[in-house]
Amino acid sequence: MNSTNRALNRIVVFVIGLVLLLAGGAVAVGALWPDVQQTVSQGASDVKGPTTDALTEQPWILWVVAVASLVLIVLLAWFALRQGHGQTGTLLTVDEGSRRDQTTGGRLVIDAKVAEQVLEEALADTPGIVSVDVTAFRVKRESVLRVTANARRGVSPTDIRRSIDQAVAHWDGVLGTETPVVIQINGGLRSQMSSATRLD
Amino acid sequence: MSTASLYKRIVRRETHSSRAGIAITLAVLLIVALAWIGTEAVLAAVGTAPLLLAPTDLVDSTLDAASAPVGVLTAVAVVVALIGLVLIVVSLAPGRRGRRGGKAERTVAVVDDRVIARSLARTASYAGDVDPSQVSVSVGKRSALIEVTRTSGRQTDVRSIDEAVRDELDAYDFSPALRHKVKLSEKGTVGS
Repeated sequence: MNSTNRALNRIVVFVIGLVLLLAGGAVAVGALWPDVQQTVSQGASDVKGPTTDALTEQPWILWVVAVASLVLIVLLAWFALRQGHGQTGTLLTVDEGSRRDQTTGGRLVIDAKVAEQVLEEALADTPGIVSVDVTAFRVKRESVLRVTANARRGVSPTDIRRSIDQAVAHWDGVLGTETPVVIQINGGLRSQMSSATRLD
Repeated sequence: MSTASLYKRIVRRETHSSRAGIAITLAVLLIVALAWIGTEAVLAAVGTAPLLLAPTDLVDSTLDAASAPVGVLTAVAVVVALIGLVLIVVSLAPGRRGRRGGKAERTVAVVDDRVIARSLARTASYAGDVDPSQVSVSVGKRSALIEVTRTSGRQTDVRSIDEAVRDELDAYDFSPALRHKVKLSEKGTVGS
């Protein structure tokens, strides 16, 4: 439901994996091959002096390293923090206009809270549902309601879906238009703890 | 975007992992490493004592590593390569989340496999007249296995369990669809 860029996640994981695999593989093969091992270790001890000199005599290299690290840190932080967004507080906006589905005077904004409260209230007394949560998301420039229901242990998911569909039909009648609704039927810890039958 | 294709997209996203956890973990590890390198670079540039290791020492020890004993070097390299391989597999695997999507009508539903398993277990225990604790169900990608422990000294009607479970599965419109198998365990429980 959220706007996480999944392709980007997979690309990042893939690239880091590829770098580790190639680096590890190259070092392992090089170490096991005596000729390569000799040449590389010789070359490494030869450049040791020049690199140490370069780092002590030319401090700009260190500043470049610091700035490059900072830029990469900012990019990675942006990448980590942009995950999981996409919730919205506004369900519907109807602009002023002359068409049939528009208002004639002023602009109408329906808050997502309205849908959340109406649907949660309507489903609170359904026997097969332990708890219900309604959230609005923005997916592809459309508002989508997600109804998450925790099922009581052993209740048929088709029964739960039928009750939620009925509540949604009532909500459509109240709203006067249809917004996409996604029903999520979970069996988490709360449904595991619940008894198979409701007593009250 | 039409509602049908929107629903298809949402079901696909809700039934598969976003790989956010591993991506964020890797990003945080890289941030920590880069923050340390950057700090050391600045400290060395202004001539202050290093936190752990000055950049010159860091470069030196990296270059020294090339002449480290072959066994140690190979072992470290193989471990690094294996971690890389695991990450590549994770990035390419579908990452199912143990949920399945229903048919889209006015709404669309995504159902946790655990809900399906518990529902099948209850159906089986009613149909076979056994205690719910004697039925265990495991739901895989395309198949559900119902294991029933018989009560010793009583007949357990496997066929009626089988039929009841089939009726329930036929009422489902989830994909991937489930095939089922009822297994009666060899040992029985006493009492109940």
